[in-house]
Amino acid sequence: MARLNDDAQWIVLMGFIVSFSFFFLALVINQSTVVGQTTAESVIEFPKNDIRDVREVIGESVKRPNLNIVRTDIEALSMSRKSAVVWYENDTGTNPTIIEIHYNNGVTSYNETWTLP
Amino acid sequence: MINSDGQLYTIEGFAAALIMVITAFLVVNATSVYTAGDTHINDMQLEVLGTDALKMMDVASNSTSKTPLQQIIEADPVNGSRFNTEFSNSLHQGTFQNPNTIHYNATFSCRNNDNSTANNPISYSRNLTGGEHTVRATKWVIVDKQVCDSAGPQNRAVLVEVLLWRD
Repeated sequence: MARLNDDAQWIVLMGFIVSFSFFFLALVINQSTVVGQTTAESVIEFPKNDIRDVREVIGESVKRPNLNIVRTDIEALSMSRKSAVVWYENDTGTNPTIIEIHYNNGVTSYNETWTLP
Repeated sequence: MINSDGQLYTIEGFAAALIMVITAFLVVNATSVYTAGDTHINDMQLEVLGTDALKMMDVASNSTSKTPLQQIIEADPVNGSRFNTEFSNSLHQGTFQNPNTIHYNATFSCRNNDNSTANNPISYSRNLTGGEHTVRATKWVIVDKQVCDSAGPQNRAVLVEVLLWRD
């Protein structure tokens, strides 16, 4: 009866060990990219609502007679309460009205030229 | 000399152990484990809820009337009880019973003539002790009122700020 040839078993065993250690290493590296940043955290950090809100109030403010006072309000309160630099200017001399908006909170910056027909 | 007869058994044992370990890993991974990083999910939901509630309060019933938020701040003194009613109703629009687990502290900020800002109370549902884990929702409102140290009633932009927390 032919005997099982068991000459290369150490090599097979080492191959197993090395390949599985690579597998677990890859698993760890795969997980490490998401450490410290979750989806919910990104949602909190990105000032989507702040930008929408400030656009809305800017659009509202240019209809007011004392625009310069309201604009200073928005710029000063953005800086002190929202830690965001907001600067905007509207040009009503021409038709259509153009509002230039700049927003920057240190992480996200947003610039827009808003044209009102 | 080392006896090397049992190597195939060792390989078999390794393979079996790995199958068990991987099975256990998949099972544990499939269930949700609440880690410290996941608290951001609650924060995000609370912030979105507060922002939506404020946004709904800044919608006028028609194009000529003022929004509830404008009316609340323009009232003299600031109509805190109306804010409390409307804001709480928006926050607790759940189908579940015993809804009052979200608390808030609402203020609005205005600008003084020297460009410093002042923070004025509107309403609150519970005192802030400092230990709460709060998130902040804000809303810009333009009001026609004498706020901060302006000379008389005029259009001013104020920032409504609400701190929200669960208990």
